[in-house]
Amino acid sequence: MSTVDTREATLVRVQRETFSVDEEINRVRSRSTRIGGIATFLGTARDRSEGRDVRSITFEYYEGMAQKTLREIRERALREFDVIEVLILHRYGEIAIGENIVLIVVGAMHRPEAFKACGWCIDELKQITPIWKCERTPDGETWVEQHP
Amino acid sequence: MTVTVKLFGMLKTQLGTGSELTVTLRQGGLVNDLIAAIQAMNPVVGELLLKKKVLVSVNHDVADGDVELSGSDEIALLPPFSGGSRGQGG
Repeated sequence: MSTVDTREATLVRVQRETFSVDEEINRVRSRSTRIGGIATFLGTARDRSEGRDVRSITFEYYEGMAQKTLREIRERALREFDVIEVLILHRYGEIAIGENIVLIVVGAMHRPEAFKACGWCIDELKQITPIWKCERTPDGETWVEQHP
Repeated sequence: MTVTVKLFGMLKTQLGTGSELTVTLRQGGLVNDLIAAIQAMNPVVGELLLKKKVLVSVNHDVADGDVELSGSDEIALLPPFSGGSRGQGG
């Protein structure tokens, strides 16, 4: 892989294990001394959904297509916003309540663009990335959006 | 020709064939032919495909009905993504 491919593989990941938000922020921070603002979105597993208690969440993803979609989101964010670096990370497998699920980190010279790009990335991720969530509740397991 | 279709999420339960489905189509069959074949097997999933609540992807791209399939394509049925509409979920 070229240096660019290696960097992209680090900055766009779908992984089972949890992650350190500090380490991921530092990955972005270290990309350029021009960065003056870093916006983050961290999604965590909550214990309530649609009026039901949730005991744990399992994420399934489409290997290959999910990573491709996230790479495209990162590339579009870098093209369409005045930002310096974007990191997108999503976990799969069973995730306990309170644990990290998804992280977006955007580094920019100034905060308005960092906030805008960060919000756009998480909205876009949720709209178009082939990742599915199954919630385990006291009544059984439910795929979210099971009744579209 | 025979195509193998990857299944995810609720579709694995709904179609009851595990994580894959094998479908026989005419040579040069289209995504629409695949949808018709699935509709014959399972009208509920067929309806979701027709309404585009479930999407078909070919080689990691969402495909329209007029895309021609080959036996070597990587085909998948994609149920609604977990994020749902804007403002929902995390």
